[in-house]
Amino acid sequence: MKKKSPLFQIFAYTFLSLFAIMNIIPIFWMVVNSFKEEQEYAADPFSFPETLNFSNYSKAWDIANMDTYFLNSLIITFVSLIVTVLLGALAAYFLARFTFRLRGFIYGLFLLGMLVPIHATLIPIFLIMQKMSLIDTYLSLILPYTAFHLSLTVFILEGFMRGFPKDLEESGVMDGAGIFRIFWSIILPITRPAMATVVILNFIYNWNEYLFALVLITSNSLKTLPLGLANFVGVETASYTLQMSALTIALIPILIFYLLLQKQLVTGMTAGAVKG
Amino acid sequence: MLVHTLKRNKLAIFIGLFPALVIYLGIAIIPIGLSFYYSIMDWNGIGDMKVVGMDNYIRILSDDTFWLSVQNNVMIMITGLIGQLPLGLIMALLLNKGLRGSGFFRTVGFMPVVISSVMVSLIWGMVYNTEYGMLNGILSFLGLDSWRQNWLGDAKWSMLSISVAYIWQNCGLYMVIFLAALQNIPEEVNEAAELDGATGWRRTIHVTIPMLRNTIMVAVVYSISNSFRVFDLIQVLTGGGPAHQTEVMTIYMYNSAFMNLRYGYGSAVSILILLFSLVVISVINRLGREKDA
Repeated sequence: MKKKSPLFQIFAYTFLSLFAIMNIIPIFWMVVNSFKEEQEYAADPFSFPETLNFSNYSKAWDIANMDTYFLNSLIITFVSLIVTVLLGALAAYFLARFTFRLRGFIYGLFLLGMLVPIHATLIPIFLIMQKMSLIDTYLSLILPYTAFHLSLTVFILEGFMRGFPKDLEESGVMDGAGIFRIFWSIILPITRPAMATVVILNFIYNWNEYLFALVLITSNSLKTLPLGLANFVGVETASYTLQMSALTIALIPILIFYLLLQKQLVTGMTAGAVKG
Repeated sequence: MLVHTLKRNKLAIFIGLFPALVIYLGIAIIPIGLSFYYSIMDWNGIGDMKVVGMDNYIRILSDDTFWLSVQNNVMIMITGLIGQLPLGLIMALLLNKGLRGSGFFRTVGFMPVVISSVMVSLIWGMVYNTEYGMLNGILSFLGLDSWRQNWLGDAKWSMLSISVAYIWQNCGLYMVIFLAALQNIPEEVNEAAELDGATGWRRTIHVTIPMLRNTIMVAVVYSISNSFRVFDLIQVLTGGGPAHQTEVMTIYMYNSAFMNLRYGYGSAVSILILLFSLVVISVINRLGREKDA
């Protein structure tokens, strides 16, 4: 790499820093204020807190039902994720490793889903769930989350599985293993890198989802984290510091998740966007 | 590939694809057809469904509130295009220079993309808060008290405020899309450009950016289709208010169906959204291709 002119460096770092500050400041400001007393915040939203006041956090955790929301989000996110990845991997296996009539058609059908905007299906899904008395159940979210993420899951896994050498399954066949046995013990283990991407993507999309939850969940005890938070902030308008604490609590796990798995998240979400 | 008998294969293929297909078709694909079907109905969810033909569409298209929401969608689309893409491209170009600390800037730049829209809205709701918000606080600190605004409540500013939050949320995605494309440009291209005497800005504008043409097209299309899907951000920030001023089509649809319980009418809106976005995207695609020729 040849040396950059100092003028360019000054310009580049100024621009990059401004951008970074824009991205960090709102969050930083929120976290700092979440430690303040309400009066302290009202008096000066820009000072640092006099003492680190953790009582906001325990109060927010209780009042906002954060434990319920976290638990609901965890259950719904993970069940959807497991179902999506298992069914998606199985479908991808047959699409990638077998030749049969309709293969191209079914593959195309799965890809179509990446173009479908969720809101175009929202009302019928609500009515279907209502008819099946599934409104206000975990299942009412697990089904759409699974259905809408199968496309990307199949797309990524199929692409990966197709790259394996053709004679891969032969040793399995020689040992007398059946088709599903070969899937489980030969194909699935070597698909792990792509599975990791798919799992991470499904996790983040399910964890952050709001529209379906808004329409399909009504009772407080079943709300997911985004829905519960939006609700809490709408109700608890009197105390900003309490809102900020609740938001910070919800933000921390996702930031840790991001920092740990940054590489997969960035490549996965980019691929998801470009292909979608 | 596999040497099993054909018959067993067929059964296995069926068993393997069936569960995924049922869930996928039943919940992601068939409902689109149902949306078309409901869109010619008048139905409140309880009583009888009544066929009304194109009535819903006619009424939607003669509703001023709907056109206001279309206008707001256009606003989001345009501010998204002129905000996210150039900013993301500049960031990507700078990050591609191998400067020290690039990793840090990339991490921070992509961070908002990972956070849920709800969280982004709630954070920006506090930034825009009239009395205690960060933005007005900063303005006061700078002695610009007269610049303080009711950012979300004042119809003059509310759409612009939302657009800024929208750009903030998505810019990082375009940054990494462009960065990935930049890193795919073969080194020989840059070397050849250098031999021809193209350096610095000249090279960026005449060599690098044309190499990104396809990626830029993809980003433009994605940004447009994304702008038609905006819902969470606005629903949480303003709920479409004050007085429909920040309503976009998805919010208009949500309100018709789930607030006013007019499922047929709401379905017709969702079909119109689909139609509008398809039209805009195919126009853009055509423009992109014409330039190629």
